[in-house]
Amino acid sequence: MTSPDPAIGTDLPELQYGPVSRATLALYAGASGDHNPIHIDLDFAKKSGLPDVFAQGMLSFGVLSRVVTQWAGGAQLREFGARFVSITQVHDLLTCTGKVIERFDQDGERRARIELIATAQDGRQTLLGQAVVALP
Amino acid sequence: MTEGTAAANPKGLFRRDTKGESIAPITVRVERGRIQFFSQVLGEGDPLFTDVAAARAAGHPDLAAPPSFYMVLEALADDERRRRGEPVAAALIGCDFRYLLHGDEQYSYDGLIYAGDEVALSTRVVDFFDKKGGAMEFVVLESLVTHVDRGVLLRSKRTLLHRLG
Repeated sequence: MTSPDPAIGTDLPELQYGPVSRATLALYAGASGDHNPIHIDLDFAKKSGLPDVFAQGMLSFGVLSRVVTQWAGGAQLREFGARFVSITQVHDLLTCTGKVIERFDQDGERRARIELIATAQDGRQTLLGQAVVALP
Repeated sequence: MTEGTAAANPKGLFRRDTKGESIAPITVRVERGRIQFFSQVLGEGDPLFTDVAAARAAGHPDLAAPPSFYMVLEALADDERRRRGEPVAAALIGCDFRYLLHGDEQYSYDGLIYAGDEVALSTRVVDFFDKKGGAMEFVVLESLVTHVDRGVLLRSKRTLLHRLG
């Protein structure tokens, strides 16, 4: 549960996801409805000049959002977004972290802004995100 | 070509004449089983997204959609548009999936979306621009998810790109 008064610089509990398998990519395609073949069809990826399929950015995006919702609760989320700064590859193990970077009042609520990062096992950053949550 | 110019990119694949166009709203139903499947794949742990009894005990009418569930709603809307022979955003703007990447995705939430809801999705083509001397071209799309009684529940802003290098 969120502290009602988290200090700027507070680290959120991190989480890990993966390693991302081809089965994960197929399941995310089915669950999300995004059937873009570049993520699930090796023949299509090769014809597109790539050595392999790669993970849906929105798979990592959804995992990254969990850092915030497991800390603040899903009903407290006001904004969430991320920039896809590098491609998540098959077999990547993602570590997702978050940190409180700002406190402010808006729409009658006390809110916190969270900086979020997804990093692969070799230190490569894949997503840089931000979220805003309403504090309890 | 300078960075950020709106001028046409000779290598570009996007249909830049669609700038400013809107895709008419279409209504989709939020299914509980789909929320559960989506939550399971992402490893969701918040009972608001996974446990109907816990969600109801916390005062919610049903499971809520996780933060990135907009992807599912959009896919459902696009499926329905295809059945009706109406254009979907990806086709309208000329996405080529061989070269398409996702640059950025931003959501703001005005209210939770629940299993059992019927929500309307609409999308607008906001802008096109280039970077790296035309080696990458970008499109910005904005969408709204609206409930007939509860108003706008989600606003999305998405940036997609083609790698043209």
